[in-house]
Amino acid sequence: MLRITAGKLGSAIRGTIGVTSSRVAAVRALHGSEESAEDFDKRYEKYFSREGIDGWEIRKGMNDLLGMDLVPSPKVIEAGLRGARRVNDIALAIRWLEGCKDKCGDQKATLYPYLLEKITPTLKELGIPTIEELGYDKPELALKSVYDL
Amino acid sequence: MSVMRALGLRLHNQFQQVLPQRGAVMAMMRRGTHHDGTRLMSGDREVVGYGVNGNPIYIDCVEFPFPAIRYREVTPELCAVREKELGDWKALSIQDKKLLYRHSFCQTYAEFQHFTPDWKLVIGVGFWSAAIGLLISLSYYFKLYDPVPETYAEDRRQAQLRRIIQLQMNPITGLSSKWCYHTNKWK
Repeated sequence: MLRITAGKLGSAIRGTIGVTSSRVAAVRALHGSEESAEDFDKRYEKYFSREGIDGWEIRKGMNDLLGMDLVPSPKVIEAGLRGARRVNDIALAIRWLEGCKDKCGDQKATLYPYLLEKITPTLKELGIPTIEELGYDKPELALKSVYDL
Repeated sequence: MSVMRALGLRLHNQFQQVLPQRGAVMAMMRRGTHHDGTRLMSGDREVVGYGVNGNPIYIDCVEFPFPAIRYREVTPELCAVREKELGDWKALSIQDKKLLYRHSFCQTYAEFQHFTPDWKLVIGVGFWSAAIGLLISLSYYFKLYDPVPETYAEDRRQAQLRRIIQLQMNPITGLSSKWCYHTNKWK
């Protein structure tokens, strides 16, 4: 945990322009054995690229990833998007993008353009709009309070 | 005894007839739902994932961004768009994509993470409570309480202080310890 915060602090100080994926995704420690960032990325790419994966398992993988203390690396984001394409669910793909953007936390200004730059080819290829294109970076609709229904 | 049973049975049957919906709902709730009724509340919305705890509940939250069910129910207009979704997504218009998103989700991240005007209500209620409390205390002081006894007059309190010092009350760390007995003044 301390390593993760130290890593994040280090990269914040150094500046995250041109940061490699090994710094964006934190090092994971599973049951005592360390897993490198590349192995972690590969594991989740394999998970999302599995032939015949269905919406349930994609959502499980995405929920887990967005619950971890890291920003998913561009490769993993792309794998998630392609998984959503395989199950024909564009709403899932857009929500996944929103989730990854939100995970950038207070470093959105530096990390998010970098992520976008890396995944734009996939977005163009699959026809997924960015959040700004949809107009969902600002609130669009208001929700009536349950006390007023 | 049998009269009671017959009466009970008649009431039950009447209940089933008068409120058949309610009766059916209650029967369904008893069967294999652990008596919680969430599956009934979710209606015929499509179950798509595990969600927070496995129940078919919709919720927008940052911790579990992909809820267990879609937000809206299926309509014929939606079916047409979903047919298009099976093909190339570049053929979908922005309106179609928004429709599909709003079908699966209630609010976007920007919407459910936006601040609410709740703080105004909280501050307002806080200030009003303090003001009303202050008014009540003041009215009690001026209208309710008896006047203060005569022993609170200034000269009488001075005499009491002189007595405390002369009796050397609390001479180590208290009031008399602050009085210098040689010079008859405060230290």
